[in-house]
Amino acid sequence: MTTKELKQMANRLRMDVVETIHHVEDGHPGPCMSIAEIITVLYFSEMNIRPEEPRWPLRDRCILSKGHACPIQYAAMARKGYFDMDELKKLRKLDGILQGHPDMNKTPGIDSVSGSLGNGVGIGLGIALGCRMQGIDNFVYVIIGDGEQQEGVVWEAAMAAAKHKVGNLIVLADCNNNQSGGKVTELSSLYPASEKWSSFQWHVQEIDGHDVEAIKNAIANAKAVTDRPSYIECRTIKGKNIPYMENNNAWHKRVPTKEEVEIARKYLGGAV
Amino acid sequence: MKTKSTREAAMRAIIELAGQDERIVIVSPDSLLASRAVPFLERFPDRLIEVGIAEQNAVLVAAGLATTGMKPVVISYAGFLTMRACEQIRTFVAYPGLNVKFIGLNGGMLGGEREGVTHQFYEDVGILRSMPGVSVITPADAGQAYKATKAMFMREEPCYMRLGSGREPEVFPDDTPFEFGKIRVVKHYGDDVAIFASGFIMNRAIEALELLKAEGINGLIADVSTVKPIDSETVTEILKRTNCAVAVEDHNIYGGMSSAVSEISSLYHPCRVIRLGLNDIYPRSGHADELLDAYGLSVQSIVDGAKKAMSK
Repeated sequence: MTTKELKQMANRLRMDVVETIHHVEDGHPGPCMSIAEIITVLYFSEMNIRPEEPRWPLRDRCILSKGHACPIQYAAMARKGYFDMDELKKLRKLDGILQGHPDMNKTPGIDSVSGSLGNGVGIGLGIALGCRMQGIDNFVYVIIGDGEQQEGVVWEAAMAAAKHKVGNLIVLADCNNNQSGGKVTELSSLYPASEKWSSFQWHVQEIDGHDVEAIKNAIANAKAVTDRPSYIECRTIKGKNIPYMENNNAWHKRVPTKEEVEIARKYLGGAV
Repeated sequence: MKTKSTREAAMRAIIELAGQDERIVIVSPDSLLASRAVPFLERFPDRLIEVGIAEQNAVLVAAGLATTGMKPVVISYAGFLTMRACEQIRTFVAYPGLNVKFIGLNGGMLGGEREGVTHQFYEDVGILRSMPGVSVITPADAGQAYKATKAMFMREEPCYMRLGSGREPEVFPDDTPFEFGKIRVVKHYGDDVAIFASGFIMNRAIEALELLKAEGINGLIADVSTVKPIDSETVTEILKRTNCAVAVEDHNIYGGMSSAVSEISSLYHPCRVIRLGLNDIYPRSGHADELLDAYGLSVQSIVDGAKKAMSK
């Protein structure tokens, strides 16, 4: 995909999320919007995956540690062909395969349970070690939020990952400075986060998390570092590209009305 | 009574299994020495993954490893595993049904004895029993721990095995079989009363049975070495014969093996089941035998419990 196509796809996925959450009347739209470009670059540019063979052992892995943003991952996976687009309409419903938070057994292509915050980096470390021990040449991507880095187990995993020199582990942090209860900077003292990861002996980069070229370049840089895990701090905007959602934490979990869906469609460039 | 380390026995089994299956790895939250894993490390230096004192991360790493087809076992103190890393076991291993094994050390008062309450764990079985998808094994001595370890690795599912301090009384002859999910009647003098026992207090239960026999009460001892899934058929069969029982374990009286036996009784054969364990209080530091005596698990307590069960 070209850069232009990736940008369009990110907005298309945003629109999928707005329509899905409107349709099923439940979900977290704001946190999806800030990772639209990250998810798009991973699924449509970077990851070596086979949607027709979801458990292909040599595949790259993607752990969405901030699992509440799964609607946008599901949208990307549907568009990649893991399952039918109609499944999105059954998100969070008893007869659907898409759980409220990712489930590796119910949804083909999901690599781990996630959603209980803070746990993705440790899972990713285990996968990275398991693949390396079996001589599998792949990469494990973990998408974490900034708020979830308040969980102590993130740092347990960060410490151990550096010790084990897992060059195949790449963490992308969606740093939108918002969490359920308010601003990350007001609720706790995470920032400067990249300095913390740096002191934990990770390879660290800071980028604009909505710039698909920057994400691609950062991943290329991370892949070139083989003796350390990588942390890519992606500066993002919660609710990005939908003005009424941008930086408005009321949209952490909220259902858009029919009118709001149409407004979103207008701003997302009629991509859908 | 002669003692033999359950920790060494389990590790001997793991090393033998690891020699046959290179997917078996140990994830250690600084439990190398406590789990007696130095010989494993010497033989398989790349297959002991040390993560430091971080049980939650150890469980997550094991979960991640299992998704790639590896067969990890996480070994740590029973409470640090089942309480500190409780959610990681539940959500990231049990829920997706990943093939991860857990070995909890210092199970019970006896396990932690002089260390005190921070290192004694009498809630582990109850915690894990309440979690769908986790099997719970409580061997009674080193020989059983060795066989139970091998049986546990035969199963491709989450399993927890409870071990002790490394100074457990040897109660069974070496050729005693272990069958996952089955209750074994260890001694059967008669059907006056049943003693259900699990774990490292089996020696006391056996002693109590002999004392009862000397008083003319002929009972039986059933070894409940798999607490979940519990062999409810055998529990029911035994209760139908004896019409009363005492259930003994080094665990809080809530949630463990004795609760499981009572649940089965209430459903299939209601009768008096006296539960003997730690009586919902925190004990203290002390020598193992003195502790058990002081907190309701003396041989005499078991004898008295059996008589109480029999009284109408």
